[in-house]
Amino acid sequence: MTTAEIAAWRARMPAAFGSSGRTRALRIAGWLAFALWLGWALQHFGFTPQRLWNGLSGLATILRLMVPPSPGELWVDILQGLAESVAMAFLGTFVAAVIAVPLGFLGAGNVMTNLLFRFSLRRVFDGFRGIDQLIWALAFVRAVGLGPLAGVLAIATADIAVLAKLNAEAIENAERRQQEGVTAAGGSRLARLRFGVLPQVLPVMLAQALYFFESNTRSAAILGVVGAGGIGLQISERIRVRHWDEVAFIILLMVVTVAAIDFLSARLRRRLTGGG
Amino acid sequence: MDAAPAWAEHVPAWMSGNRMLELQGLTRQFGTTLAVDHVNLEVPDGQMVGIIGRSGAGKSTLLRLINRLEAPSSGRILSGGRDVTALDGRALRDWRRDCAMVFQQFNLVQRLDVLTNVLIGRLAYQRGWRSFMVLVGARFTAAERAMALAALDRFGLADTALQRAETLSGGQQQRVAICRALMQQPRLILADEPIASLDPRNAQVVMDALRDVNRQDGLTVLVNLHHLDTAREYCDRIVAMQAGKVVFDGTPAALTAERVRAIYGISEEEFAAEAAARLRADAAPARLAMA
Repeated sequence: MTTAEIAAWRARMPAAFGSSGRTRALRIAGWLAFALWLGWALQHFGFTPQRLWNGLSGLATILRLMVPPSPGELWVDILQGLAESVAMAFLGTFVAAVIAVPLGFLGAGNVMTNLLFRFSLRRVFDGFRGIDQLIWALAFVRAVGLGPLAGVLAIATADIAVLAKLNAEAIENAERRQQEGVTAAGGSRLARLRFGVLPQVLPVMLAQALYFFESNTRSAAILGVVGAGGIGLQISERIRVRHWDEVAFIILLMVVTVAAIDFLSARLRRRLTGGG
Repeated sequence: MDAAPAWAEHVPAWMSGNRMLELQGLTRQFGTTLAVDHVNLEVPDGQMVGIIGRSGAGKSTLLRLINRLEAPSSGRILSGGRDVTALDGRALRDWRRDCAMVFQQFNLVQRLDVLTNVLIGRLAYQRGWRSFMVLVGARFTAAERAMALAALDRFGLADTALQRAETLSGGQQQRVAICRALMQQPRLILADEPIASLDPRNAQVVMDALRDVNRQDGLTVLVNLHHLDTAREYCDRIVAMQAGKVVFDGTPAALTAERVRAIYGISEEEFAAEAAARLRADAAPARLAMA
């Protein structure tokens, strides 16, 4: 390769020889701007090494207090709280899943042909999805009082919209040929949905509900902190009086419970969505 | 096949008219293309008609028009003198029951068991309270279940009744689809490339089954085929289509190799190879897209 040849290629395809000076300058400026913003944000939130260090030593103290974990004297209460959390998650998910089935059909383009209705419904789903479970829990604690009912309602309300949207998508993705088989045999619109669509989407819907149950057992713990029932209350009380060993015990118990539910639900979901 | 099943004796009054099907200037337009272009056709009761043509000739659209899965752009479909072109609601569903479809991809509900798939053929017979029970809990009557089992037994499939449809081979699924069609107690069977997705042995089993319902049960059969030999072997009459038009209508003997070359400009072997390749290409990406 002679220098002339190299120059010729460079002239013909400059981008193949690295980016131009201008692009490089812009890129550097972009990174600089990001670094400046990051620095400002960290400083604004009080992200100093000293505070981090103090925080870490605080955390170490807590961890030390946690060993060995102990059930304390009120371990029956702990077990009850845990069972309550799981029950809340199950009931909340169940209610949401049941309501989300008809809503899913109403939101699916191949079922509900009225575009305006469907569009509005989908926007309502989106609106509900924007509000977190915890906010619902706070609202329901005021509305129906302290206790697990508020938790169940919070879980259900927060999940209905998401499940309905997922159901609607599953229904829209249902294979057309199988539905056509029902229509061609003289089946009505409802018969097409019942025999042509439902068998295709029901396993998907169940699998989604199970997945939500899994994640809700995790988040049901937090609902107790705001008074919506379950194990969260036990945790927050023990943190307030610094019984860290008991907190550790509860956390371990929760991890085991969630892992067990994850395991079972994952197996069930595989059976539902796998061909067998 | 010693005894014909009980429902074969059920011969409704409309069958007395011998013009099972009459198409008058039937046309279907997609955009600017005429998929079916002014087709006139008369099919007498009990005939087995093979419809042949290259891909895109409009064979499939023609059958879908008759079952009203597609709406005609113009023209009329008459059956026993009755106009079925503009039916809707209950009357349309009853018409669809009367002209059962058999599809290339079988169109069974994969996750339902074979028995329920066959019972889908009874949907259009449910009235009032019964149709509610069927919709809510698939509560078909014992008589209907026995009828479905007898239909499956006729094609050697009674043992698979409680399996999911997806566990069956293509040939078995197509026979289940024929059972579903028979459960409709139809006057007419419209088979759209019923053997295009099957291996030669299963193709023969399915074609034999169609001939059997034509001969034994006296049903009129319209079958789309891409294999001329199959059409000649099984059909009383062959209708050839090209670019949406009927270009040949006669006995199998009249459709000689020279005739085929004159109509399509290619030899029979080229015709078959082209059709087979096109069907394979059509079927594969469709399945992917649905997955």
